[in-house]
Amino acid sequence: MRFKSFDLIPHGTKFDFVGKRHIAVALSLIVNAAVLLWAVPAIHGLNFGVDFAGGTEMEVKFGQPVDPGAIRKSIEDLGFKGASVQTYGAESENAFLIRVERIALMSDADVKRVVDAVQAKVPIQSWSFNPEIGDKIDFQFKQPPSPQELQAAVEGAGIGVREVRAEQGLVAGTRSFAVITQGIREKIEHDLATRFAEAKPDVRRVEYVGPAVGRELRNQGFKAVLYAIGLIVVYIGLRFDFRFSPGVVIAIVHDAIVTLGYFAFSGREFNLTSIAVILTVVGYSVNDTVVVYDRIRENHAKFKGKSLAEIVNLSINETLGRTFLTSFATALSLVGLLMYGVGTIFDFSAAMLVGIVSGTYSTWFIAAPMTIWLEELADKKKKSRAAPSAAAPAAPAGRAAQK
Amino acid sequence: MERSWYWRVALIVAVALFSLWQLVPSWFYFKLPPDQRSTEAYEHAVPGWAPTSQKHLNLGLDLQGGIHLAMGVDVERAVKAKVARRADEIAEYLKSKNVPAESVTTTAGGTRVAVKAADPKQVESSVLDSYDQEMYSPGVVDGAVTFAFKDTVLRDFQSKAVEQAEKTIRNRVDKWGVSEPDIKRKANNQIQIQLPGFKDPEKAKELLGRTAQLEFKITDDENPALDQLRGQLTPCATADGFRIPLPQGGCWSTESVELPNGTARAVTILAANTRPEIEKLIQEKATPLLDPQKNVVGIGEATVGQGPTRQQYYRTYLLRAKTELTGDYIADARAAIDQSQQFGQSGRPLVQFTMSVEGGRLMQKLTSENMRRRMATVLDDKVETAPYIQGEISTNGQITLGSGRNPQEMFEEANQIALVLKAGALPAPVTISEERTVGATLGPELVRRGTVAALIGLGLVLLFMVAYYRASGLVADVALVLNGLLVLAIMAMIGSTLTLPGIAGFVLTLGMAVDANVLINERIREELRAGRTIKQAVQQGYDKVFWTIVDSHVTTLVAALVLMNYGSGPVRGFAVTLAIGLVASMFTSIVVTRAFMEFFTRHETARLSV
Repeated sequence: MRFKSFDLIPHGTKFDFVGKRHIAVALSLIVNAAVLLWAVPAIHGLNFGVDFAGGTEMEVKFGQPVDPGAIRKSIEDLGFKGASVQTYGAESENAFLIRVERIALMSDADVKRVVDAVQAKVPIQSWSFNPEIGDKIDFQFKQPPSPQELQAAVEGAGIGVREVRAEQGLVAGTRSFAVITQGIREKIEHDLATRFAEAKPDVRRVEYVGPAVGRELRNQGFKAVLYAIGLIVVYIGLRFDFRFSPGVVIAIVHDAIVTLGYFAFSGREFNLTSIAVILTVVGYSVNDTVVVYDRIRENHAKFKGKSLAEIVNLSINETLGRTFLTSFATALSLVGLLMYGVGTIFDFSAAMLVGIVSGTYSTWFIAAPMTIWLEELADKKKKSRAAPSAAAPAAPAGRAAQK
Repeated sequence: MERSWYWRVALIVAVALFSLWQLVPSWFYFKLPPDQRSTEAYEHAVPGWAPTSQKHLNLGLDLQGGIHLAMGVDVERAVKAKVARRADEIAEYLKSKNVPAESVTTTAGGTRVAVKAADPKQVESSVLDSYDQEMYSPGVVDGAVTFAFKDTVLRDFQSKAVEQAEKTIRNRVDKWGVSEPDIKRKANNQIQIQLPGFKDPEKAKELLGRTAQLEFKITDDENPALDQLRGQLTPCATADGFRIPLPQGGCWSTESVELPNGTARAVTILAANTRPEIEKLIQEKATPLLDPQKNVVGIGEATVGQGPTRQQYYRTYLLRAKTELTGDYIADARAAIDQSQQFGQSGRPLVQFTMSVEGGRLMQKLTSENMRRRMATVLDDKVETAPYIQGEISTNGQITLGSGRNPQEMFEEANQIALVLKAGALPAPVTISEERTVGATLGPELVRRGTVAALIGLGLVLLFMVAYYRASGLVADVALVLNGLLVLAIMAMIGSTLTLPGIAGFVLTLGMAVDANVLINERIREELRAGRTIKQAVQQGYDKVFWTIVDSHVTTLVAALVLMNYGSGPVRGFAVTLAIGLVASMFTSIVVTRAFMEFFTRHETARLSV
């Protein structure tokens, strides 16, 4: 049988992956540590999107060029500090992403000022303020004032009022009042529509997430990544051998952190979709590892005499082509998204690409050599326990290999 | 060829045809211009031979435009209100029992009732005598006996508060006539509302406007003003009973009502299929005939038919304009089973409610003046129930339900009415905790960009496979196209939603699907190098990588399932698409390509470019 084929990666390579493992591990440790350090809020921190940080985000498209500085100024004039205005998509589209933080909308001092101002006009029976909501104070009065009076009193304290709402009181038959102080979205939208009237602003998308929800989503997202890693490790453990699991865990965590690195170092927004990418990378990056582990298992049964290091090297080299090509094919599918995706979808694709590359690297330089390191560790333990026993070194995955 | 091969090919052909067939409704759905994708126009457009469920792919809120809201219910405030009302009740109760008490107030941040008295023991035993079902006394603090609600009572109460808020929200959304609103309760006292295609965020804020307003009004059953409409409108019923669905634009019907003097009268009512329809009918036909000082027309819901033919519709009640009493005066309400033996009604579900002291006085006046009339409870402009007043009610009242239905259903109804009355007792305001609005202009652009991106990705992958693996690559390409078709078909079949991240997920699964074929082809190459015949190499290739492919798919599937559980909205759309894509990919890359490859290498001497 004559057989011809064109190989992108030549077969029969004899690259010494195992020998390079010390350099690789050192490099990975440095990269991972850098990402984690960079992601620490005190040092630099991730650029949390509204999903996780809470706040308001608006995508506005104008009919003609507008200076982002002018937009920022007009928002600051409204009293919202720390607004960020970025161009969104291509420059020529005149689209902007406006973000306003909302956490601690009213500080305790603000609340106290409002309460004192109201107290000076009308005796308050009780009041309450929930910092999780942040823009609403509830009042109960013995002698209810008119909503207009109340609004005037609050505005007297220098706090803008969106609405005074009469609600049912705590005690049957009484009234209470909710004073709602701000409405970021309405104010900005109205302001843009009047100040930039000739540029025809079109508010295309608004996202508002309350601070409590943001925190909840963040915690859940972190947990979801941990659950996924845990479940995958259990699966790999059941399918192969639990001795393979540490290598898999380290490789997965490595890839998740490197993917996080995309968001940390680029300063791009970290949001719900970012969690989706990390989870997908976690699931996908194991694929390459599985291929190599499968081969290690196969070769281990085939070449009884060879050392584990030789077998691992051989296995990686034999599967080099497919490991590279599968990653390449998946990366190819992302090209369109990288070209045409804007904002979140671009970040999704770019981070996925980083994850795919990292997954391939970690398979070659981390996951596979890790089995050797673990084996050496197990050997040392065994030797220190039962000194000169002549037992042959246990093979990883001997169990499932004989079929 | 082996016998099993024919079976496999039959399966592949069947799956392909089935997928195409499942996509028929989606095809016709997306052929309609976006603003005409209403249920009716769509049902009209879909041919009769399409799948009967007529489920189609939906565009997510991010692609279609619309509003996503999550609202938090302030249950803490509802609890405080309950405690404050209970304090009121206890003060009145102690007075009625002649137990001396200096003061009755709330304490511990409004979560406990505190009674200051010279003889705390007497107060404690007296209060617990009557309230021990719900309350206990944690002890004496600063010379005052304190009472707190039991945990089970509070938990039940909080969940009722959220249920109540959900009901109010449903009611209000219902009034706008949004097609396919999706309202559901989430964890942490949150309610999620999705209004696809809805364009008015300001109106959506109306959901928050105020806590639900409950009013009591007396029906005006003697008033003949609306009887003349019988000549002008279509009747709702034919000789065989109610028409289902009701005629377009609404219709008239009658309801037999017992008047206070004991005679029965056929009262004219109007009915229609939707709330906007009946509102229009009332405005155009009924309002001109009425004196707005004296009467208003209330709208309520009713059902007709049983089982699968059961249909909901809207009907009118002619009410006196005056609001006799508001729900603010209700301290508590609950569904209960009638324990008394009188009237032979034992075991019947009923609704018990407690008014505040002042409310009791008003209620007594109202009921004594309107004996044997109907009293409508109107929640947020919707008549929930209109029972006859059968006796004088003061602080404690009860509503008995009509007879003749199964007790389970009646108890459910009693629960519903109790919930309505609680709107007064549960001033639990809602606040927006999450709002995502996508304008109408963004969606189409995202769909366009997404489609182009997906096509580029698909094209590159197809090209790469055929360039690198030649004939085998072509086989993988055919399988890949079938894979894409299958993913869309499954999504359409379960009526799932296509979101922007979902498109990204779709593209990604196409890339992952060819991974399996890369593995197989590389293995075949390797087997060929080892000197096997092409037929053996193909067999070996598929057999040896089978478990590798399963493993790699399962691990990604695990991540997708975790994500499905975590995310909501667009991200969930991504997870669903990814999961479906992985399952489809296992089928196409293993079963479909193998059948092709076996066909091409059926002879030992076959040649195949790999």
